[in-house]
Amino acid sequence: MSSKRIQVLPVNRVEGDLKIRIEVEDNHVTEAFSIGMMYRGIEKIMLDRGPLDGLVITPRICGICSNSHLAAAAMALDDFYKAEVPPNAVRVRNVSLCVESIQNDIRHAFLLFMPDFTNPAYADHPLYQDALTRYEPLKGDSTVAAVRETKRLLEVIAIMGGQWPHSSFIVPGGVVSVISVSDIAQCRYLLGQFRKWFEANVLACSIEEWLSVESLADLQSWLVKDPAHQHGDLGFFVRFCERAGLDRLGADTGRFLSFGSLPTPGGRADKSGRSGFLIPAGLVGQDRGEDFDGGLISEDISHSHFDGAPSTHPFDADVTPKKPLLEGMAYSWAKAPRYDGLPAETGPLAQLLVSKNPLFVDLLNCFGPSVYVRELARLTRAAHQISHMERWLGEIASDNGEFYHQHGNVMDGQGCGLVEAPRGALGHWVRIEEGVIAGYQVITPTTWNASPRDVDGNRGPMEQALIGVRVKDPENPIEVAHVIRSFDPCLVCTVHAVDLKKGQALPPKTIG
Amino acid sequence: MTLSVFWLQAGGCGGDTWSFLNAESPDVIEFFEDHDIDLLWHPSLSTLHPGELSRLLTRLANGDQPLDVLCVEGTILNGPDGSGMFDELCDRPKKEIVEDLARQARFVLAVGTCASFGGISGGGFSEGTGLQYEKWTPGGLLGASFKTHAGRPVINLPGCPCHCDVIIGMLSAIALETPLDLIDYNTPREWYGIMVHQGCTRNEYHEYRVEEKVFGEKGCMFFHMGCHGPLVTGPCNKKLWNRRSSKTRVGVPCFGCTRPDFPQHYPFFETQNIEGLPIELPDGVSRAHYMAYKGMAAAAAPTRLKKRKTGI
Repeated sequence: MSSKRIQVLPVNRVEGDLKIRIEVEDNHVTEAFSIGMMYRGIEKIMLDRGPLDGLVITPRICGICSNSHLAAAAMALDDFYKAEVPPNAVRVRNVSLCVESIQNDIRHAFLLFMPDFTNPAYADHPLYQDALTRYEPLKGDSTVAAVRETKRLLEVIAIMGGQWPHSSFIVPGGVVSVISVSDIAQCRYLLGQFRKWFEANVLACSIEEWLSVESLADLQSWLVKDPAHQHGDLGFFVRFCERAGLDRLGADTGRFLSFGSLPTPGGRADKSGRSGFLIPAGLVGQDRGEDFDGGLISEDISHSHFDGAPSTHPFDADVTPKKPLLEGMAYSWAKAPRYDGLPAETGPLAQLLVSKNPLFVDLLNCFGPSVYVRELARLTRAAHQISHMERWLGEIASDNGEFYHQHGNVMDGQGCGLVEAPRGALGHWVRIEEGVIAGYQVITPTTWNASPRDVDGNRGPMEQALIGVRVKDPENPIEVAHVIRSFDPCLVCTVHAVDLKKGQALPPKTIG
Repeated sequence: MTLSVFWLQAGGCGGDTWSFLNAESPDVIEFFEDHDIDLLWHPSLSTLHPGELSRLLTRLANGDQPLDVLCVEGTILNGPDGSGMFDELCDRPKKEIVEDLARQARFVLAVGTCASFGGISGGGFSEGTGLQYEKWTPGGLLGASFKTHAGRPVINLPGCPCHCDVIIGMLSAIALETPLDLIDYNTPREWYGIMVHQGCTRNEYHEYRVEEKVFGEKGCMFFHMGCHGPLVTGPCNKKLWNRRSSKTRVGVPCFGCTRPDFPQHYPFFETQNIEGLPIELPDGVSRAHYMAYKGMAAAAAPTRLKKRKTGI
């Protein structure tokens, strides 16, 4: 007998509350709505403020990626002032972005994602006891180590920028700090200690050995080559996912976007993303070439609680929040960002695919964009960054150049700052008139991934990834939690069922 | 003795939580063990299912289960139209949950400037307030006369974010039953009885009024760059951030993030001034004497400062 039920899953947040409403029929998800739950109005707060105020206000959008917001805000102002950023400042910015990204990945893995392996749903999984020892909240060995190691690594940002989170040391034209020889020595030590822990405990091999794994076949032989490989957190993750079927769970439309990030110091970045960045810009998964064009970004508000033009480029956005109604199409405080009119997934997997990383290109061919592939990209992203961070720190030590280059004053114009934050593509668009902010738009990575539908009815990537997911136990839909968390949409997801008879606010009726 | 703690995130960025995780000696996990903290709920550290959370909230609200400490981070969002539905938990406005739990808790801590005074999302369309203040004015969600049943007002721990040592220190004082003296705006003297610039490595420049005008220059940032270090209270340069440094030490002006009016309405990175002298001077100083003192100090400045030959 067919049984249909609607479930609401509140997802706790960092950069905005999220709730997922799913419809489950015969143990399969048939519909999904991603509902941005909190409205803080940061873009409205920015209006009529001083031109540099984005450097102070916007990091406070998100406590776990505040440095990425700072970088995007500063890069939008670099663009506005046509400021030149000296190579040393690029190095400092890059190192700080990588540090923030790595702390996010490790905390996401060990504090937010892996604790689901201790869910009672896995009581019969042969690795369940092992999972408890590793990931029990506040007690698991890996959890305790993740808290210790991430906070030490973050000291690098404090040395360079004064504090983490919420500093404002990145400014148009560079960074305010002057990094001394002993500062560099301490940063190198902290990064070296982190590398040791990451190699010994997470990879269970050297970074160089891991980077030589270039296909699924390589991965399978790497896993059995040394028993140690199976016992590191990475090997454990691979084994657990395989058995739990996470390798084929949660595919979205497979369209991946990166804004490009980590420019080459002293180099000239090509805005189409073909050169000049460690993480290139681009779009994977469409027919028409992969070159990036920021002009193709738009925001659709057809299903959001806003009044204004239905779809605009962020420079032209002028929307006003409206009171949420229980009826009608709108169901989210998030807007629906679109690239060339369609949704796109962003984050570590997108970065690696746009970079044409052979392992992840192969894994995508074998498994599709699944929970396993998405999460593996995040768990191993640090391996792609650490040696470059070491190089940049070394270059700062040997380069006597400046960290800040003064720019001329400009009163009117606009600027765009695009960066890859821990969760993917982050953009800030600022318009300044007569020396005050006349428009400010931010599109965060979670807005891409947890986007609501657009005017054509296209679901956002996370919504799409939930369709068809088989839910073994509707009281404990752990599979749904995995799919949502694999997008790292900001923190803990928790689940409860809603009795339809109680007349809960219904999901929008007019979705096509 | 076990201390039960419920940590609620309202309208904020979660930054106080991530700041809390910066703690060292003890770190967060060691601290919980050491003081036998029973963390009933924290949105990023707990795995409680929402059904269980909902039942826990009912037990706490009814007083069936005692609650020692309620920690709130983030602005209380009252919008739209006073409904509080901009921010909900278990299908209820969070502001109602905060009211329920505040009535039962022995201590209520506003962690960070948002929960204390409204902060970044205060006022405006979101109708945001602090727990017991709306910027400088007592009131907020719980009202000026609110006291816990143990007779205490909301203890405000401002900062954007709040420093980890303040959070750990406050919880530890409660666990050890150490009385803490509250000063202006119900902040503990222990951390808010000191000006932010105390301990800043640029203080010699401040002393002789050798001032920075361009980013990256050595000098004090009070006269031109909008630094609030001498104007507002907080332990940034005493405790240091991430055990290493502070914004003012590396050359970022203090933005006064512990103050009830944060974020200020005038532009950051510039000092409001008349004839080059800051409009706002440190609390309680005589303007005429201050001007004379700063003029003489600048005249007496040693060459190594004027030529900026020091390390910072």
